[in-house]
Amino acid sequence: MPERFLSWLKSAAGITILLTIFLAAYATIDRGPYILVNTAITGGMLALVAIGLALLLGVMNVASFVHGEYFMIGTLAAYYVFTPLNAYLTENPNPFLTNLAPLIAILSAAVVGAAAGALTEVLVFAPMRRRSRENWVMNSFLLTVGLAVVLINAHLLIFGADFKGIVRYWPGRPFTIMDVFISRDRFFAFLISIVVIIAFWLFMKMTRTGRAIRAVSQDETGSLMVGINLTGILIFTMALGCSLAAVAGASLLFLYPSYPTVGLEALYMAWFIVILVGLGNIIGALTGGFMVALLKVLTVEYIGSGWDFVVPTALIIIVLIFKPSGIFGSEVRGALEK
Amino acid sequence: MTPMDKVLGKLNLTPAGILGLVILAVLPFIPPFNQEYMIRWLISAALIAAGAIAFDFTAGFINIVNFGFYAILGLGGYTSAILAVNYGLTPWIGVLCGAVTAGLLGLLVGLLTLRLRGIFAAVMAWFVGLALMGLATKMVWLTRGPLGLRTPRLFETASNIPYYYVMLLLMLFIYLVCSWVTSSKVGIAFKAIGQNMDAARTSGINPTYYRILNFTLSCTLAGLLGGFYAHYYGILTPDIMHTAKTVEVLAVAYIGGRGSLWGGAAIAFPFILAMELVRSGLSNLPGLNLIIYGLLLIFVMIYYPGGFAQFFDTYIRHPKNRALNYFLNGSTARA
Repeated sequence: MPERFLSWLKSAAGITILLTIFLAAYATIDRGPYILVNTAITGGMLALVAIGLALLLGVMNVASFVHGEYFMIGTLAAYYVFTPLNAYLTENPNPFLTNLAPLIAILSAAVVGAAAGALTEVLVFAPMRRRSRENWVMNSFLLTVGLAVVLINAHLLIFGADFKGIVRYWPGRPFTIMDVFISRDRFFAFLISIVVIIAFWLFMKMTRTGRAIRAVSQDETGSLMVGINLTGILIFTMALGCSLAAVAGASLLFLYPSYPTVGLEALYMAWFIVILVGLGNIIGALTGGFMVALLKVLTVEYIGSGWDFVVPTALIIIVLIFKPSGIFGSEVRGALEK
Repeated sequence: MTPMDKVLGKLNLTPAGILGLVILAVLPFIPPFNQEYMIRWLISAALIAAGAIAFDFTAGFINIVNFGFYAILGLGGYTSAILAVNYGLTPWIGVLCGAVTAGLLGLLVGLLTLRLRGIFAAVMAWFVGLALMGLATKMVWLTRGPLGLRTPRLFETASNIPYYYVMLLLMLFIYLVCSWVTSSKVGIAFKAIGQNMDAARTSGINPTYYRILNFTLSCTLAGLLGGFYAHYYGILTPDIMHTAKTVEVLAVAYIGGRGSLWGGAAIAFPFILAMELVRSGLSNLPGLNLIIYGLLLIFVMIYYPGGFAQFFDTYIRHPKNRALNYFLNGSTARA
């Protein structure tokens, strides 16, 4: 065990994780524990979006450019569920319902996101897959580009360009942890991301469907041979991935009001994570979410906002030079290479 | 075969193509196109058309989507503009410097990503584009950031007609360069890589070398366009590097027909004019023109991957009438 641990430490993954922990510790001592708190909250949500993206890459072989739009759909759904609920609750106060309303909003966002994802698979990817599998990665990527344009502008056309936001989800005094004030919304957002990630992990490891999804990601033909319902799995995977993004969007509605291009930042960050850790690597995406969140927080803290794209790009260049398969390498590299 | 046919054949132009160019050349004098706003639309259509040719040179042949196309174009524009503003260099030379800078960036991005799978190049170009846009916004001392950099214009007239002709010539130049390269031996290598990389590699083609060559050339041409953009609009903001602009060129190139070069240019004019009409006519429905874009792109990608060029080649290109056949295909017409 110690030897294996030592060799892991010397690998790219080990070095990066150690470096991240060191950086986090240094910044926390230097600037204060709020760095750690901000990293945890942003990281959880980034991880949710990136896991969805990695899932689509690994299982469906779709390099999705539209993933941020499901984040946007999540914010939109949560807004339209939460606002009337909130208005009703201000007239008829009910402490139990007040605490429950945000959860209802986030849950309905998850459902709407899943429905949108399933529809996308049925209406867009399935016809494409039936017609041609040639150059699939590039063609499906372009499809998602078109879809992103349509969804962003459909939001603009139907719901308008103004910010549709809420003041807060959970009323009440902020919590204090390590002398840092954390608003209830941020705390619950972090909690939700952790719960969803654990549930997702259990689902992938423990259930039959989860196993089937992993089987499809390893070998499509093989999974067909052992009797897996491929069409169903593809629809389900798409729904699952999009639903994760929608949950992230809904939980962060208090930070990012809903407007047509709200998903772009989430999309950039998710892609950044996925390239950094290796395409299609789901566990890597989880770790990468927190690493990139730290990087983002540190960039804003030490260099200033607006540089958040320059620093990640520089980092990606380094990764691509030295380790093109990503820090953690990708297990499903073969699937993508077809 | 007349000498004229030989020249046309060498230039990869058909009599129909020449007719199209002549129509475009006289268009600004024919009502309703002789109004200034129409000419401005025509110029932006020609810019998109030229961009679509340079984009298709990469996307249609080596199957790499340059997702930072407009960022690289913007880099060319900014280089030329900064040289003109800070050092008083005449725009005519500055444009060339811009093209070289854009080409160098393309070379670097290519060296970094083109040995990997295609999606890396697309995403990397996208990230480089975002970083460039961030830099252009943040380096206010050099670019004046979102306020916009005022640039000297190419001509000292208020009329747009000279710009239109420069743009048309630039478009023709880009088409001639791209079609010359793709019809040469190098072009065959490009096609081989785009269709089946393993087979190309087996035949002794070094894919990385040819992909980088292609990518660099495409970026150089983009830089050239960027220089024109900067000195035509007279003001340059970081918005020029936005991904949405790349998506516009991408949609036109794919709807026009990948791998045809002329397809994107041919549909750009009617397409952009129609889009401008939709946008200005239905201003109470914002975003509708872009929804049409997106839906068309999705539709073409799924049901008609060859785009307009494939449609043209299948149904229109080979009529029975010999004169018409000559008109559409030049002296290389199939019987």
